Formats: sequence, structure tokens, C-alpha cells
Amino acid sequence: MSNRNSVEFIQKKALAMRRDCIEMGYAAGSHGAHFGPAMSCIEVVAGIFFSAMNHNPQDPFMPTRDRFVLSKGHACLAYYSALVEAGYFPRDLMRTFKGDNSFLSGHPSCHVKHGLEVASGSLGNGFAVACGMAKAAKVKGEGHYVYCVLGDGECDEGLIWEAAMNAVKNNLDNLIAVVDRNSFQLAGRTHEIMNLNLEAIWKAFGWEVRVVEDGNDVLSVITVLNEMRSATSGKPHLIIAKTVKGKGVSFMENNLAWHAAPMGKDKYEQAVADLAALEIEGN
Amino acid sequence: MSKRWLTWLRLRLKGIEMNEISMETLQEWSKLGHRSTIGETLLLLGKENSNVYVTTADLTPTARLTNFLKAFPDRLFDVGIAEQNLIDFTAGLAKEGLLPFAVGLAAFVPMRCAEQMRINMGYMNLNAKVIGIEAGVRFGPLGNTHFAMDDIAVARAIPNMTVISPSDPRSIYKAVFAAAEYVGPVYMRLTGAPGFPILYPDDFDFQIGKAIECRSGRDVAIISTGSVLAEAIGAADILRSKGISARVVDMHTIKPLDTEMLDRVFAENRLVLTVEEHSIIGGLGGAVAEYKAGFDRSPKQLICGLGDSFRKVGSYEFQLQDNGLTASQLADLVVTNLS
Repeated sequence: MSNRNSVEFIQKKALAMRRDCIEMGYAAGSHGAHFGPAMSCIEVVAGIFFSAMNHNPQDPFMPTRDRFVLSKGHACLAYYSALVEAGYFPRDLMRTFKGDNSFLSGHPSCHVKHGLEVASGSLGNGFAVACGMAKAAKVKGEGHYVYCVLGDGECDEGLIWEAAMNAVKNNLDNLIAVVDRNSFQLAGRTHEIMNLNLEAIWKAFGWEVRVVEDGNDVLSVITVLNEMRSATSGKPHLIIAKTVKGKGVSFMENNLAWHAAPMGKDKYEQAVADLAALEIEGN
Repeated sequence: MSKRWLTWLRLRLKGIEMNEISMETLQEWSKLGHRSTIGETLLLLGKENSNVYVTTADLTPTARLTNFLKAFPDRLFDVGIAEQNLIDFTAGLAKEGLLPFAVGLAAFVPMRCAEQMRINMGYMNLNAKVIGIEAGVRFGPLGNTHFAMDDIAVARAIPNMTVISPSDPRSIYKAVFAAAEYVGPVYMRLTGAPGFPILYPDDFDFQIGKAIECRSGRDVAIISTGSVLAEAIGAADILRSKGISARVVDMHTIKPLDTEMLDRVFAENRLVLTVEEHSIIGGLGGAVAEYKAGFDRSPKQLICGLGDSFRKVGSYEFQLQDNGLTASQLADLVVTNLS
């Protein structure tokens, strides 16, 4: 897949991904879905899949492919929607999300043939595995990159910092991690649960850190993603993308009730209408 | 063509040469204990297979990995005192096709990083190996924080995980080479204090999942795992002098269990003892009892291991005695139960 896509193309992909998220989450019925944390990181994931990352949905095992790990696995709707839009699996399989014997579980499992590299959802672990994958690429002299998306609440996990130290020690400049800074976690606002100055801490651990003030703006996201890829600091890269939880759907934005919830018909119709309005606005 | 020769041929074709170890080397390993055995074995494996990497959590000198580090400075990664990251980092290496062996203290690995082993070794079904050194209560004087009584229970509850507990210097060597050949996640617990005896001749066949009958016998079957096998064999010798015929089985692979061997034992022996340096809950004894539960008629089983309480502090010899795991205690238990 080319990484020469235009901003407009990626914006359209992002909107399509939001629609896919709503379709999948609605199809899950009473099982519900983690809408809020998926909608916040749509531009980040779209920027990685449709601008930054070298990959080929027709050849998911391609050795030179860049790897993607969604460490905040509960945001799997964002991941699955990117895979659908990229063509890793047929659109009609979206209906099976959380269904019996579906590979589209409520947190990602490992199915490389569908573009799913690493099982994640137990917070902290995806990031630590991604560090090992980046180290292996270095050891083997392979030039591919590893992209990893973390949650801001996920940074409460001690394992994140075990892995962060080790990434610096190993000079993993082929690792580009993005913290989806939506400022909410399951039980409340991140600054109320555990008030971390993420920029200061990641810098103190020795990472090259960049902050994207509007992490839901495609141009801002892909600009920093591509700058990180050409950086020569020798350090692992960390982008703090300030985003809006539930972005794009009026009743979900900054509403903790939509961190994870089942969606009824009326809310579904409203979400679809909100996204249609966004499309008109975009045009 | 013998199985052993076929194994040797297969290893050769894959670029892995499993040399027989000289008696001098084995005697040295026996004298120094399982730590030297694993450190030197990984060095030999690393020489044979350039895809082998070692990861550790600050145990390079403890696990006698210094020679590996000298020989392969670019193939040993120390993640610091961070067992969770040890497993995940190792899993990431395995995900990309390296063959990593993570070495940690069995008191902390797998218990502290059980979830990492569950998800990123078991669920991901990655070809990563974890070695837990100082399993059991050899760290007796250090206290309960450093005892590994529950590592088998934790590891064997993880789907896809193979669990191995070799019994002597030579079987540690063979088990490590077999684990390298086997594709899938492995947890290997190591026991064996300095002076642990060499129990096997050089031509014995070690296959994962295939128990070894060390002694044949019809009255009692003593099924053992780990270096406490020496006590099980000692017990069989004592019993023979009393006219009791004891079969001794080295169940070096706890998962998957060798159920063919167990079928024979249940059909032919009147009493079964399971012997392990592990809690009486969830270890070899538990695994055998779980299998035995499916039989309409089967012999009585006595589970010998570490009692279900935090153990006393004391020397290794004291620990074996305090937990009823010495040869004479095991033999007495058999006599009492057969009479």
C-alpha cells in the first residue's frame, strides 16, 4: 500500500472508519462496544494505516511490512475499521464483531492473515511486545518500523515503564508509539485517577517526544508521524496526540458513559446522522 | 534405524548438532548444580544455532550466563529487574522469528509474569522458551519470598504451554536442546543443588512428553519430576531390600503428561506415589490425579511434595526432610501404605 495518500483521502477513510465503528458496535447488540476510546484515535490509526505505514493487505505476511500493535486493545473498533477500509477482510464480516466464533473479538486476537499482529487488551502488554518486535527487526537488520498505539490511562501500568526503559536502552528508533491522549479512562478523567505529566515522564525516560495539539486533525497527525519516521535522534519515538473521546458523534464526545456501552436503535440513528452531517461539512 | 539416530540426523539437518557431553563436563555440572548446567548448555546451544538468543532479568551471573555473554555479546539481552517485560520482550522477539530463551528465578517467573505468559506465550502460541532457575525450595535459607512452590501450577494452567522439569545434568542438557527443536511455548523449571547426581547414561533418549521408566517394578510406582528423582530411586533401592518391587518413572514433562505410561502404571501397580519439589496442589500430583479421575478403577495415589503452607526456613537438606521427600521417608510411606 502506498504511503502517498492525500490528506483528503485519509480524512475520507477516517470518516468511513467512524461509520464502520458504529456499524460494528451496533451489530454487537447487548454486548456493547468500546465506542469512546475507538472514536478518539481514528485519525491516529488512519494516519498510520493510510499514510505512515508500509504494508500490503494482499500480502499480510510480507516480511518487510511495518508492524502495527494496538496496545489499547479495547479500541479494537478503530483497528478493525482500518483493516476493513484497507481491504484485509471483507466488509460483511464486520457483522460478526463479538459474535460466536468470530475472529473479531472484543479485544484483538492474533490473526496475521487478517492484519492482526498481536493479541492485546490486557493493558501494557501490547506495547512491551511491540518493543521486542522492534528489537528483533534491529537484530535481523530489517528496516521496517513498528507502530504502536497506547491509551493515556494505559500509562498507569508499571509494565509500560519497564518496556519504555528497555526501548531506550536498545535504541529502538524503529519504534513509533502514539499515546491517544483523550484524557479519560474507564472510571473517570485521567487527571483525577492518576495525574501524569506524560510529556515530562516520557522525555525523562529518554524518548523523543512530540505533542500533537489536535490529534483528530489528519494533517497534524500525519505530519508528525512522517517527521518521526525520518528523525535521526536514535531514540524511540513517542507522540502524544491530544484527542476527544468519542470524537464525531455528538452524544459520545467527552462522555464517559460511552467509554463502553450497548447502542440502541435511536442512538444508532443519531450517530449515523451525526456522521452524515460531518460528511456534508467535509464536502 | 534407532530413534536416537533419527533425532540426531534431524537435528543435524536443521543445523543443530547435539553432541554427547563428556563425563568430565557432566561431573563439573553435577558438582556446580543446575545453574551452571543451564548456563553452559545455553552456550552450547547458542554455538550450534545462531538463531538462539537469551533474555534475562538481571541474572547473567546467577544463571551462569557470563560465558554466553562473552561468546555472544549481541545475543543476550538483559531487561533489568522487570519480569513482566522479560516475557513480553521475549515474546516480541519470538513473534519475529528469533528463538529466545528467557531466564528468570522460578520464584518470580512464572508467578509474577503469569499473565504475560498466558497472553503472549500461550494465547499467541509463540515459540518462546522460559527457564525458571532455583525452582522448589533450594533457596531454603532465603525464606518464602524465594521459594517456587507454585510455578508448575501456574504454567500448566496456560493452554499451549509445555511444562518440563528435568532431573539431572544430562537431562537438563537434552531437555534444552529438545525445547529448541520443539516449536511452541515452553516453561522449564530447574531444580538440582550443587552435587545433584548424574542419573542417566549418555545414550538415553529424551523426548518431550515421553516419560522415562528408570526402574521396572510391580508393587508400587513412584512417579517423580525434577531432581528429586534421585530420592525416588533411593527409595526404590530401600524398598527392594525389603522385598518390595518399585517402578520408578521420570515424568520430566508435566504437560503434556505421558498418559500411555500412566495407563500402564494404573493397570500394573497397586500403589502410586507422585514425588515433586512443588506444592501438593496443582503440580505433578495434581496432573496425575486429574487424569486418574477418569478411571473406574485405579490404584491409590499418594501426593508427595511441599505441604500447603508457607514453608519453614532452612537448608535444602532440612527442606527435603521437613516435607517428607527423602528416600527413606518415601520408602517408609510406601511400606505403611502397602501393609
